[in-house]
Amino acid sequence: MVSYYVLFPVSVLAGFVGAMSGMGGGIILIPALTLLGVDIKHAIAISILSVIATSSGSASAYVRDHITNLKVGMFLEMFTILGALAGAAITLASSPRPLYIAFGLVLLGSWIALLVVGDDESWHAGPQDSISRWLELEGSYYDSSAGRVIHYRARRAYLGAPLMFGAGVIAGLLGIGAGAVKVLIHDLVMGLPPKVSTTTSNLIIGVTALAGTSVYLVHGLIHPGLAAPVVVGIVIGAILGTRTLVRLSNKSVRKFFLIVLIILAVEMIVRGIRG
Amino acid sequence: MGTRPEMTSAQHGDSNSSSRKMDLLVGYLLLIGVALSLAQIAVGLCWNFLRTGHFWIDYQLGGTNLFEFTLAEFCATAAGNLSPRTLVDGGVAVLMLTPYLRVFASMLYFMFALKNWKYSLFTAIVLGILTFSLFLR
Repeated sequence: MVSYYVLFPVSVLAGFVGAMSGMGGGIILIPALTLLGVDIKHAIAISILSVIATSSGSASAYVRDHITNLKVGMFLEMFTILGALAGAAITLASSPRPLYIAFGLVLLGSWIALLVVGDDESWHAGPQDSISRWLELEGSYYDSSAGRVIHYRARRAYLGAPLMFGAGVIAGLLGIGAGAVKVLIHDLVMGLPPKVSTTTSNLIIGVTALAGTSVYLVHGLIHPGLAAPVVVGIVIGAILGTRTLVRLSNKSVRKFFLIVLIILAVEMIVRGIRG
Repeated sequence: MGTRPEMTSAQHGDSNSSSRKMDLLVGYLLLIGVALSLAQIAVGLCWNFLRTGHFWIDYQLGGTNLFEFTLAEFCATAAGNLSPRTLVDGGVAVLMLTPYLRVFASMLYFMFALKNWKYSLFTAIVLGILTFSLFLR
């Protein structure tokens, strides 16, 4: 039994760092919970439940600001939720050691993603293929920093869809939003502007996490006593983190998070190998 | 750079304003769901602290799906058996129902307001898979 006096501040911290980095709280929460003695499968189940709260909370603001593309979201959700169901089923059948190693590898992948992800300035519109046109994957939003309306058309939906299934598997398997993977797919494969890809990914994460949570709930891995302080703490941390983000420069946040990610990645892989 | 000035017809204007209404509906639904859920969990934990002197609520949820779980919570509350545990459980149920209701609301909107059969179908598929997963045993 972990004391609430430890669990609550750890969850606030995970939510804070997760929001500041844009990676989500789960990536910090799960290693922290396992270090506190929580079994990794319970940690994954609690994390994925808390992901519903953080992603739905932030998605609500982005959707109301008309930046999120609901059509792109709905289309890709068909694939991510199937992936999440498969991922959660694999976790249930797996022993803890491969889960530690998989988590460490995803952390390493996120570390690389953080190094290569583009910014608003580097985005440019490309030609749209017929499938993406049939799927009506296009939209516009007002960019306050550019001071004008940006119109865009998504492309390569035929590649984005199976890749999003893979992102869903990672989310369900490891109890994280896998936002970094989804943003990479939106950015690099489907050619969405970074603001649209981040906010749409947020919307998708909530539904994907729900599919994963449903599997863990039935198998008794959602412990309300553990989940309650974590969910409340992580949302408070995320709200604080989002406010702090405005004051800190992007560069220092990135540097700090790159260090945290690599430490956690090595730690999880070592634990997986040692057993 | 990605600008498309041709989207100014009346038809586009109508569908744009409908899409914006849908954005607001979905946005507020998510906000209310998360806020309600967190409030229930926080009140449940504080109530438990006042009753027992500690926050810890120790019980396991197993072998139940969301719909059975929500129904049991609803019945307990309707029967007046309100306790810290029913509040925390209710918070978890509301949290899980929030994205589900968001998809349901989107489907109705695509069907009746936007009359977009393609996206009504896609949303129905998402809702169908989610409903199946929430009925799992």
